[in-house]
This record gives sequence, structure tokens and C-alpha cells, in this order.
Amino acid sequence: MDEMDPFESKLREAFVRRPAPPGLKRRILDERARLKKERRRRTIMVWQRLAAGFAIAAVLGGGLTWRHVEEERRGKAARQEVLTALRITNQALDRIQARLAASDRDDHATGERQ
Amino acid sequence: MAHDWQPDFERLVGEHQSMVFSLAWRMTGDRGLAEEIAQDTFLALDKNLSKLQGPEHALFWLRRVAMSRSADALRRRKVRGVDLWIEIEENHGAQPEERSSPLGARLEQLMTTLPEPQRAVLVLRYQEDLTPEEIAATLEAPLATVKSNLQRGLKLLRAKAECNLKDYMRPGQVLGGA
Repeated sequence: MDEMDPFESKLREAFVRRPAPPGLKRRILDERARLKKERRRRTIMVWQRLAAGFAIAAVLGGGLTWRHVEEERRGKAARQEVLTALRITNQALDRIQARLAASDRDDHATGERQ
Repeated sequence: MAHDWQPDFERLVGEHQSMVFSLAWRMTGDRGLAEEIAQDTFLALDKNLSKLQGPEHALFWLRRVAMSRSADALRRRKVRGVDLWIEIEENHGAQPEERSSPLGARLEQLMTTLPEPQRAVLVLRYQEDLTPEEIAATLEAPLATVKSNLQRGLKLLRAKAECNLKDYMRPGQVLGGA
């Protein structure tokens, strides 16, 4: 394989490397710079979208938490009001019961005297 | 040593653009397409710079990718080499400094009529001066296949040259050493 006949020598002469077209290197370097810029722009865009996503998630999460806390607070207040109402009702009933008992005692005493 | 190598992309382009462009041109026969392939090859090199272990590895990598991209381009276009050479003559004329000798141009033209696998091994053998073992490694092909393609390609090219290049070569020279 190493020894070449005249035809192979002609082939080797014919197949010398051709010079690259003028400006090829410049075009490659320009395209490389453009692609790098594009990649950087895309990376920034991805981070921006991620940040926007996090911000939206935080706002939604905050809103939901606030709603939950508010509902809990309102529930506690309503329970407190019901308890107060029950206490007042209980006191009123106690008073009525005491009056009825006093009235019963008076009726009973009057009956005995007669 | 390999791991200490700091690749300089701009220098690599400067050093190897002629090699990559020539491989692509001889494989496709289309100057414009060869420029595109060369550009793509170097942009792919830029992405893989960190994986390269040294100048020899970079050269090997560039040859392998240039050949593979040229083969892909040929498959995509599904155009026979001889048609492409009509295009090269008509639309993509070489700069004066790029023109080879009449015999060289005819040999290159004949080369484009060979089947792609034979053309690939002949280009690597006679342009890049690679051994069959190196060609096998570059094309990721079995050594026996490479040797067979070399012999068949050379025989076919010799036969075509005998018929077509009588004006350029002395009798006996074309077949010499067969």
C-alpha cells in the first residue's frame, strides 16, 4: 500500500488540498458569535420565564394562604358569636326559670293558707 | 499532555479549513455545499471543543465529521456526482487560485462518478495520505471493507482514466503499476 505507482502519484498530485474560499473563516467565526449570542438570549429567556413562573406561583400561593387564614379567622369569630348568643340565652332561661320557681312557690303558699 | 491542551478555535479553523473544505468539495462536487459543510463541521467542533484531547484528536475528529456530513449531504440531495460537477462548472466556478491542473480537474471529475464509499476512501488516501487503518478509524468501517473499497475504487478510476484521459497521460502511464 505504501509504494505508489505512477497513477497513484498522479492522484496524489491532483488531490492536494484546495485553498479554502476567501472569507470562509470569517463566516465561520461570525456564525459562531451569532449562535453564541442566540444561545445566551435563549438562556436569559428561559430564566426570565422561570422567574415569572415562580412569581406567579408565589402570588397564587400567597393568595390561597391568605384566603385560608381569613376563612379560619371568620370561622373562629362566628363560633365566638354563637357561644356568646348561647351564653346570653342560657342566662335568660335561668332568669325565667328562677321567676317561674318563685311564682310556683307563691301559688303553693297561697293555696296552703286558704 | 492531552488533558493540558487548550484548544484555540480560531487557530483550528485557520489550520484545518482547507482540509475540511477540500474533503467536502471532493466528496460532494459542489463548492457551495462544501462551504456549508465546512461551516457546519467547524460549528460542531466548537460545541465539542471540551471533548478534544489534543491537536491530533482534533484533526481526526474534523476529518471524521467532514466525511460524515458530506455523506449525509449527498444522501439528502440524492444527486449523482456527475450532475453536481455540471453545477460546479456552471454556478460555483472556483476562484482562479483554486483551479487545479487540467489533469487534476479531470481526475477529480472522474472521481465524482465513483460510488460514494470508494470515493471516500480514495479521497482520504490520496488527499490526506492516510493508511487503510487510519481510513477505517476515520470512517468507522471495517479494515477489510476499506481495503476492498480502495482496490475497487482505484481499479475503476484507473479504467475510467484509461478511457477518458488519453489526451493528458502518456500511454502506459495510466495503467502503470496496476
